[in-house]
Amino acid sequence: MSVRESLLKKLEELDRMPTLPASLLPLLRYMEQPDETLDLQQVIELISQDKSLAVQCLHMANSPLFGRSQTVESIRDAVVTLGIQRMRDIAASCSLLDILPQGNMGMDPAVLWEHSLACALVCRQFARVIGFSDPGKAYLAGLLHDVGVVAHLWILPSQFSEALELACNEHIPLHEAELRLLEITHAESGRLVAERWRLPAGMISVVACHHDPRSATVHQDLVALISLSDILCRMNGLGHGPVEDREVDFEKEPGFAILLEEHPQLRNFDWARFTFEMEDYMEEVHRLVNLMYHPS
Amino acid sequence: MTGTAAASAMGAASAPPNPALVKIRDVIYQVAGIFHPDNKHRLLEERCSKRMQVLGVANLRDYYDCLTIKATRQAELTALLNEITIGETCFFRNVPQLDAIRNVALPKIIAARAKSAPRHLRIWSAGCSTGEEPYTLSMALLEEQKKHLKDWTFEILATDLNERSLAQAQLGHYGAYSTRNVPEYFKQKYFLSRDRELHVTSEVEAKVHFQQVNLSDATRMASMKNVDITLCCNVLIYFDSISKRKVISHFYNNLLPHGYLFLGHAESLYGVSEDFRLVHLPGCTAYLKSAEKTLALEKARPQ
Repeated sequence: MSVRESLLKKLEELDRMPTLPASLLPLLRYMEQPDETLDLQQVIELISQDKSLAVQCLHMANSPLFGRSQTVESIRDAVVTLGIQRMRDIAASCSLLDILPQGNMGMDPAVLWEHSLACALVCRQFARVIGFSDPGKAYLAGLLHDVGVVAHLWILPSQFSEALELACNEHIPLHEAELRLLEITHAESGRLVAERWRLPAGMISVVACHHDPRSATVHQDLVALISLSDILCRMNGLGHGPVEDREVDFEKEPGFAILLEEHPQLRNFDWARFTFEMEDYMEEVHRLVNLMYHPS
Repeated sequence: MTGTAAASAMGAASAPPNPALVKIRDVIYQVAGIFHPDNKHRLLEERCSKRMQVLGVANLRDYYDCLTIKATRQAELTALLNEITIGETCFFRNVPQLDAIRNVALPKIIAARAKSAPRHLRIWSAGCSTGEEPYTLSMALLEEQKKHLKDWTFEILATDLNERSLAQAQLGHYGAYSTRNVPEYFKQKYFLSRDRELHVTSEVEAKVHFQQVNLSDATRMASMKNVDITLCCNVLIYFDSISKRKVISHFYNNLLPHGYLFLGHAESLYGVSEDFRLVHLPGCTAYLKSAEKTLALEKARPQ
């Protein structure tokens, strides 16, 4: 049996893989509904049921990343001040914390969470700037795009750790290192997890195709948006650790051509300014993740 | 931890920015091409306050008028930019940029020039001030002679308009402040400690050629040829848009086809040049000449 086959077999069994957090799926389903049908009380209850989730949500709600103007003390406060949309984003990020393995699992899970959260924020901001229809969906897609890495952390921690080390030593993207050592990338593994979790079709597409948006058959524009945001994070020190020694021209990225079809204003996009604006996110995400992982 | 404690751990960045400050930020980006993200607003506000004290202006809104409406707006903008860039010069000021030059730009340039003689690299530090930038480059490239620049020679052209800065640069003596970021390895290898100062070694000096050049002097600019990498950090911000365009087009012409232009941190050429192509390197951005040629070369290279 080849490395790839044995890994695929392990992944298909998925016996050590966590299930999707109970609170996340209802939140994802909510995304599909129009805003006016959303029920404030239901969101509050959903979050408050899980005590640790509620505490984490409060931490995040008080972060400048979410644009609050005064300290929020309760979930109700948070939902009222920040709005349902943002609160759902926050709850989704927090519930994702629960699916990361604890302890020595081949990678500091805080780093993965940091990349996912940063990518989610960049995706949302990018979506807003170019007039993408649903910034909330872009946020969730950014948050979940590397769920395949979570699968690798659970199922093949030591092999994954070697792949990550290879990426760090050779300054190459993680998926290239995975392909060389594991013969399978986190995009491929992620697809299996996302399908098993019955994530919406757009999310599955993002998870499976974010390193090759042209291969996406559904929601190609969402995949393209996440692919560009992911590269931007990785080139700005918010990746999984490896410094990728390469040169990226965003206008020559496959994702750019795809997005340009629907969003012609992207032609004159000020990539430099958008990159500088991201500096805010970087420092803040770093602080926030440290706060969540090492609360005093 | 309570929400309040969490909030205090987040620092003061959460305070909503003053709308006048945001307008000043946008003017600076529009006119000077240097961008202050939200987390730098406090710094920008401090710099504005210094100028406001000098002028006796009470609030940011009035100061915004000084920068945009008053007859002295051009002079005031220059004064503010002086505040913004003050004390910026030091050795190893922008490490991600230096690493990107060593690990990405150099290998690309060398691959593009593999077949052309001579194996000699020309780097231009345009607006070198008191010499920290060109000497840092000299040290980094001396290190690269063990790696990417094996069998290559190199020189660094370091130019500035200010004679006093140039004289100080040529002396090569530095205090603790401007050498605070120098890694110990470089300190030991490329500096001599003399009378509480650090002197750059003759090996480092020998690679750097200082010249007085006015970037607005068209004849002089046209004479700078065959450059592989140009660095021009926090200089263009002082030029108006017409002069800036001229300088940039000279930079473009001075570069070899695969050449790179690096600007200061958070500086951008958006709306200034359509010729240069913005590229993202790890931890920094750069401007590349002649995309198509580089691409063709890459394709021609065996995988």
